[in-house]
Amino acid sequence: MNRFFFSSWGRDPDKTGPWEEKGLLFPARFDDDREIRAFMGWQGIICRDPSVNMVDMCREYIKRAQQESCGQCTPCRMGTRILGDILERICQGRGTGADLPALKSLARQIADASRCDIGQTAPIPLLHALRHFRDQFEKAVREAAPIPRGTYLFKVTAPCTSACPSHLDIPGYVEAVAQGRYEAALKIIRQDCCLPGVVGRVCVRPCEANCRRGLADEPIAVKTLKRFVADYELDHGKRPLFPEIARKKQRIAIVGAGPAGLACAYYLGLRGYPTTIYEALSEPGGMAAVGIPDYRLPRHILRHEAHLVERLGCEIRYGIQVGKDISMDQILETGAAAIFLASGAHQALRMRCQGEDAGYEGFMTGVVFLREAAFGRRPLSGEKMVVIGGGNVAIDCVRTAVRLGFAEAVLVYRRTEAEMPADPEEIRDAKDEKVAFHFLTQPIKILAKKGKVTGLECLRMVLGEPDASGRRRPVPVEGSNFVIQTDAVVPAIGQACDLSYIPPESGIPLTRWKTVAADPVTFQVDGRPIFAGGDCFYGPLTLIAAIASGKNAARFMAKYLEKGKCLPEERDVMEGLIQKIGVYDPQEAPPIIGGRARIHPKTLDPEMRTASFDEVERGFCAAEALQEASRCLRCSRLALAAL
Amino acid sequence: MIAITIDNRNVLAEPQDTILQAASRNGIRIPTLCYHKRLSPIGSCRICMVEVTGMDKPVPACTTPVAEGMTVETRTERVMELRRTVIRMMLINHPMECHVCGASGSCALQDLAYEYGVAAHEFGEIPVNRRVKPYATPLIPYDPNKCVLCLRCVHACQEIKGIDALSIALRGSLAHIQGERSRCISCGECWQVCPVGALTQAVTDPPTRIHQMEAVTTTCGYCGVGCQMELRVMDGKVWGVTAPDDPEGPNNGSLCAKGRFGFDFIGHPDRLTVPLIREGGRFREASWEEALAYAARKLKEICASHGPDAVMGFSSARCTNEENYLFQKFLRAGVGTNNVDHCARL
Repeated sequence: MNRFFFSSWGRDPDKTGPWEEKGLLFPARFDDDREIRAFMGWQGIICRDPSVNMVDMCREYIKRAQQESCGQCTPCRMGTRILGDILERICQGRGTGADLPALKSLARQIADASRCDIGQTAPIPLLHALRHFRDQFEKAVREAAPIPRGTYLFKVTAPCTSACPSHLDIPGYVEAVAQGRYEAALKIIRQDCCLPGVVGRVCVRPCEANCRRGLADEPIAVKTLKRFVADYELDHGKRPLFPEIARKKQRIAIVGAGPAGLACAYYLGLRGYPTTIYEALSEPGGMAAVGIPDYRLPRHILRHEAHLVERLGCEIRYGIQVGKDISMDQILETGAAAIFLASGAHQALRMRCQGEDAGYEGFMTGVVFLREAAFGRRPLSGEKMVVIGGGNVAIDCVRTAVRLGFAEAVLVYRRTEAEMPADPEEIRDAKDEKVAFHFLTQPIKILAKKGKVTGLECLRMVLGEPDASGRRRPVPVEGSNFVIQTDAVVPAIGQACDLSYIPPESGIPLTRWKTVAADPVTFQVDGRPIFAGGDCFYGPLTLIAAIASGKNAARFMAKYLEKGKCLPEERDVMEGLIQKIGVYDPQEAPPIIGGRARIHPKTLDPEMRTASFDEVERGFCAAEALQEASRCLRCSRLALAAL
Repeated sequence: MIAITIDNRNVLAEPQDTILQAASRNGIRIPTLCYHKRLSPIGSCRICMVEVTGMDKPVPACTTPVAEGMTVETRTERVMELRRTVIRMMLINHPMECHVCGASGSCALQDLAYEYGVAAHEFGEIPVNRRVKPYATPLIPYDPNKCVLCLRCVHACQEIKGIDALSIALRGSLAHIQGERSRCISCGECWQVCPVGALTQAVTDPPTRIHQMEAVTTTCGYCGVGCQMELRVMDGKVWGVTAPDDPEGPNNGSLCAKGRFGFDFIGHPDRLTVPLIREGGRFREASWEEALAYAARKLKEICASHGPDAVMGFSSARCTNEENYLFQKFLRAGVGTNNVDHCARL
């Protein structure tokens, strides 16, 4: 079938360069019923239907750009208005021959002179259209007949926003910080993330990896800016103002007060739904409370932000383990209209090392070790501790060991530092705290005397061919066995969820990765009033992904309760489509001259750190926050699809 | 210092300079509008766009840092035409009635239109019904049609005064400055930095433009800080107060609401201009010699009959530090009492 296809995506409208078929990355279908006839965005036009009127589509695109223009620079504020007025005139059949050259020169000047990417990119599809669909413009002027308005879907995003699982309006709140409007910034953050103080401390920050400023010098310190405004609110005794919401009658039950559960309760609360969270621990936060040590995430931050959730009509019932103290059926009998499953990944993976099941004194999994330490105990005795693993949890264990008074804390990892999945900043901090690293080392046997750990037998490794994850596979060196003398061994090589509380007769489908099988957009299980998010849906993943799942599940639960069913909304579909074509372009040279270095928050002196669980990383002061926020390039991206 | 080239001239710049700073350090003029030396660079007007070799697009000189070996061109055809376009855009809806505008002659937009030869509404007018809007303080009227949204006012309110009463309302061509009355302290910092006639003062109705009046530099008398100010005088009357352009004195070119707008007392009919002595319950005018002699005699009588501690001195924040020093010296050494105090502020 010889179908029509045009793409100018990623091409310079002035040049006839190589025909890059980047546009083919963009899906042809919107959903089962609808095709995407044309798409307009920051890098050009993709068109699959020659009957789409590009003049009308440009009118719509520029009109939307004018509505998004923040008004802070002249070319975008007034220029997009002039362009829009000219296009409107042409579409009404009142265009003149002089309009087309005027459009072109003005569009180019707006793209040249605007301050941020709304003005810099808004004229781009117009320039592409004027070049590649010029006949349509000439015809519109010549025939002078009104052009009917098409139906379009519009979306604003940004590389950082698109990369964030919860799609925070990062350019929006970073700008508010730059303007000193801290409470406004926090309001923007809370639209998509109800735990700003927590995420502002421990987020893995995909936004920063997708920050365009990083292509010129260094990415914006998005995480620390988020923390700054959260701390500002807390330190100044301010509290967010929640709107008066009419309380709904239906109550929703949530399993687990971790980030996903809290987020779900928060966003249901904003919609008026009261919630009851069943939490096995005596603390809010789930894995964020007992899996992340206090020196990274002080508990009072979590408690404070959980308390805000309670203000929105959420009751947290602590010390109740679902499946043991209350069954799923009993929850439904309490009159819950729907259930959100948000239990965490509290179970440690086995490392297949001889002796790990022997119950030796001095052996403990990382999950248990961190949980015990989180409740103020020193669960293992001795002078030396060996932690096995290369992720953030392993680093958390070994740094906790330093603080619990182990004279020697050793981390054993079977690959090299370059392959470690842990955050490089965490690795740096651990080194500052005199943690010893043994790379290319594989434990094979835990040695014990009279039931007590005395050492760890290991093998030396070398790196072989890359495996499925792209990392080079470690290969053991025959006969390289050696022993590390130690009093304690803590493996931290991964976690899984314990879903034994879900009885098989409940009919809730599970995956073979021990997670709940739910819709990836609506988080609904099988069209039933049951939803799942966080680690028990994704498997162990990030805090921000857990919050995103809770936030979105709340939206779809409300929809389900009000309409009887819930399907992905157009904006959810559009988000997925845009991600296919990629909002962040690592090949791009941003049109700025770099050289303004990122500001790094101060950290507690390493000697001071190890004596306590005091927070290591300090936030920004106001001057640092303003300076850092002003580095943002505000890469807003406008996308328009014709259906 | 690092070496860069601006308009084919090899010049030296400080490493932390922006292109604009490096140019002005070397006597090369780049036109600006939103840039103000007392504010951090704003980058809103796009007048100072220049071309840098190696960059696809022009960059703003006010916010772009210099780099070793950089080559800058400030007057290429491309940026000259960009500036003209931006000026044309600023003139959309701008009333072309400079002869009745208080800013005429000190208006950055007028100067730029002159320099770049933009004569009229070349983009026509855009029908947005905008009148003089309510603003943060009744002392300052705001005309959104004259406003070019350079954001100097917003930045001054925030950076200099830390008040943050101003922000942008609405978007696109409808955008304008909005003020929050509950926050505003009527300091007039926004009015001082406005480069056009969008912000005016409603305190007096001067017969000519304030900036054209004689400027009499003086020290503000409201409190002891010693802010430097200029009284704008014509025909023996004070019509307005401005802060000196060159940040000098403790106020760095800034004033408060009292210093800037509280000047009507100078020519007020109720103001005392001669000493008065009360006799039989009524005041009569007296000469300074008579009044001082009268006060000295009475003070001496009180000291003689009741002791010096029966006297107390209370001085005013309107006096200078030197005057206040002499006043306490007079009471301690002359009268002989430590009963001396000061109202601290007005």
